[in-house]
Amino acid sequence: MTQLMQAIVLGLLIGGVYALLASGLTLIFGVMDVINVAQGALIILSAFITWTLWRELGLDPLLGVLVTTPAMFVIGYGLYKATVQWISGRPASMSVLLTFALALVIEGVMGIVWSTTYHAATPSYVNQSFRGAGLYFPKAQVFGCAIAIGVLTCLYVFLRATWLGRAIRAVSENVTSARLVGVNARNVAALTFAIGVATTGAGGSITAVLYPFLPGSHYQWISRLLGIIVLGGMGSLPGAVIGALLLGVAETMTVTYISPRWATMVPYAVIMVVLLARPQGIGGAKLREDVVV
Amino acid sequence: MSERAALSRATESGAFSLVARHGLRALVAAALLGLAVYPLVSDNLYYQNMIILSLLFAIMGSGWNIISGFGGYVSLGQSVFLGIGAYTTALFSLRVFEGASPFWFPPVSAVVAGIFAAVVGSILMRTRGHSFVILTIAFLFVMQLVTLNWSQLTNGNHGLTLPLPRWDRDYQYWPFYYFLFGLMLMSVALSYWIRRTKFGMGLIAIREDENKAASVGVNTPIYKVLGFVASAVFIGAAGGVYAYYLTFIDPRGMFDIVISVQVVLAVLIGGRGTIWGPILGAFILEPLNEITNNEFGGGSERLIFFGALLALVVLVLPRGVIPSVAEIFTRRREKRRAALVGARIERKPLRIEAREERAELRPATGPLLEVRDVEKRFGGVRAVDGVSLAVEEGTITALIGPNGSGKTTLFNLMDGTMSLDRGQVWLEGRRIDRLPPWRRAHLGMGRTFQITRLFRQMTVLENVVAPLGSFTWRQLGADAVSGPEAERAQELLDFVGMGRFAAQRAAALSFGQQKLVELAQVLMLDPKLIMLDEPAGGINPTLIEHMADMIRELNRRRTTFLIVEHNMPLVLGLCDPVLVLARGKCICEGTPEHVQADPAVLDAYLGEDFVVEQRTGVEA
Repeated sequence: MTQLMQAIVLGLLIGGVYALLASGLTLIFGVMDVINVAQGALIILSAFITWTLWRELGLDPLLGVLVTTPAMFVIGYGLYKATVQWISGRPASMSVLLTFALALVIEGVMGIVWSTTYHAATPSYVNQSFRGAGLYFPKAQVFGCAIAIGVLTCLYVFLRATWLGRAIRAVSENVTSARLVGVNARNVAALTFAIGVATTGAGGSITAVLYPFLPGSHYQWISRLLGIIVLGGMGSLPGAVIGALLLGVAETMTVTYISPRWATMVPYAVIMVVLLARPQGIGGAKLREDVVV
Repeated sequence: MSERAALSRATESGAFSLVARHGLRALVAAALLGLAVYPLVSDNLYYQNMIILSLLFAIMGSGWNIISGFGGYVSLGQSVFLGIGAYTTALFSLRVFEGASPFWFPPVSAVVAGIFAAVVGSILMRTRGHSFVILTIAFLFVMQLVTLNWSQLTNGNHGLTLPLPRWDRDYQYWPFYYFLFGLMLMSVALSYWIRRTKFGMGLIAIREDENKAASVGVNTPIYKVLGFVASAVFIGAAGGVYAYYLTFIDPRGMFDIVISVQVVLAVLIGGRGTIWGPILGAFILEPLNEITNNEFGGGSERLIFFGALLALVVLVLPRGVIPSVAEIFTRRREKRRAALVGARIERKPLRIEAREERAELRPATGPLLEVRDVEKRFGGVRAVDGVSLAVEEGTITALIGPNGSGKTTLFNLMDGTMSLDRGQVWLEGRRIDRLPPWRRAHLGMGRTFQITRLFRQMTVLENVVAPLGSFTWRQLGADAVSGPEAERAQELLDFVGMGRFAAQRAAALSFGQQKLVELAQVLMLDPKLIMLDEPAGGINPTLIEHMADMIRELNRRRTTFLIVEHNMPLVLGLCDPVLVLARGKCICEGTPEHVQADPAVLDAYLGEDFVVEQRTGVEA
């Protein structure tokens, strides 16, 4: 029983972090119909920046969020302006190919700058835990989850309460109508992409503490994130949060009860089952069916 | 321009002028000859290796091109078949027939890859667009993980070592070289064959518009799954040869997404949807691969190079070298025909036999089409809420109703584009609401769309030939456009007045012209019932008259019509009976006069406070 509870607690803690990581991907997809395959590589990039700041300047990795978030925002804006904006309106596969290409370039750059070996930011609290109710609550995970929840709350409030947030939601509902009522859809798309990438700032900083990483780790991350947003319903932010928590628990359960070797399989299994059985995911209801694809 | 010339040009379907074609043929032949004799005249192993890897990429690209270039289903996991092929050959030569030369097993690899593709394809291809792309990636990684973790069979992480080649060193890599060369020729032959058969035409129709393809009778699941199988078999065989060539395979190297992406990149460079594009692309990409390996020692720099190249190709040259060059030739050729775009629409009488003969075969029991208590919900909205209606044979029945009353949804339910939540649809006394769209087309139901949906990259003639009145396995191998089919299509085009446009690309036509071609396309199926969704919507008054004339003429030949239309003068002059749909229900049925006088209809169109004196407004 304790083992089960422990698995669930760890799953939920890591699920909170996953939710933050997936939020950017789902936000970008919702607004511009682009699956940003480079999101995983951007997380690793942020993790490397965090690692360097920690190593060279002694900045706590979790405080690194304050640096990486604006840095990733700028990078996201630049990537959009340089590449992504030119493929709007082209078939889905082209945007996947383009962002995949970006992921390869980022992976290569990271390999040159930081080498292709495992890195990990290990501040003093990394091996400490809170204890309560007979369970362990690893400090790094608790802090990471708290930061993730904080950033997600900011994001949610921003989307709900600001003009730009409303514009983003409007564009994700219906681009044409949003244009008609005076939303500059191009600018909104650029800012959404930048904000979506900015979430990898905080996400990457937390990741740097929780897992060892190397440039090639981005495949693992992007598959996990895809699993989450597919499960939650692509484009839905609340769906992504639920999907993330479920996937976090599913992974820790697999590690606890089956084998860590098969834990990497969980996101793929989720992707396959959900896309084939309920393509709209948990969050998405089918309100209308477009016959024209 | 004579009709014959139009025909031959339309069937040519390629984009090169004859002269350019001959020149290119010579070039291709010379290149192939060069490849065939190269190992005999040079003992440079570095270049032999480079060509062997190019051949591998060419085979993979050629395969990928079938499902993704022709069929439009972009797979980023195509190297899964390389891995499956490699492991099949390795396991057979190590575990099953110990000591046998691995060269016996690539055919087995091909079969195993084909079976895999059939099973996986029939599951994955129920999704489209983003979902399909993601699933192919996921499938690749799943297979990698399975191979890694099933270590009793595959030796997991440590990989498998195959026996070393036993032939004399004087023969260098020849056996690998010629094996792959042969496989490449077979891949190209397969692509060529597919491109000129109904199979390939169906795949292209699916790429252009899958629902439309199904509605004109293309058995889309079979076409797609077979396309996936065709794209996998030679990759599987090549995987077997590749495993032997490397003599060592491991899961990460064999189920490698970067190889998948490089294959896609090669085809994009060469030209997607062309026969030789993948081959050209492979022979451009692989040497680049070698150069980057030598210059930068592989690794990170190589990733940057290929990532940047892929981004550049996607952004700047998404159509590839061959189509872009072909475009230049086409432009030059079409300059002379530019005047045709403004050509008049001239109709010719229809020589097709009337339906009478066939009509006698059917006992006159009940209506031709019957809809019983049909319902369709979108979330909480009941778009169609318990509609029952019947279309009698030989009539021109109208279906009218205010915007949003569920007319088009009802059409989609009747032809199977959407599945219904409740109710039944019967055609000629046969229940069809569980049948897929193409079966309904085979049974004699044809429809057009409110916003025309032609296969945009096909010529007008190909568009008209694309519909399939039945499905047989033999059909897959039939000529894409046979002589009689082309003749009949030309006749139908003449009938709708679009005969002179046969060789034009469908995308180049105006909206009204597209409506006419879409009608000809449906007529190709020789349907008993034609459902027209707003035939007069968005076209000029002359064309509307022209459309009405054709409908009357076809109706005299005993084709039944069901027409959704907002143009009241047209409906009242052409149709009898008229059915009225409002808020998802059928509220009135009868002659045009009866419907005009029905207060419920006036209420539905104009609201409760409508005053009777304004009634003339409805008619105008």
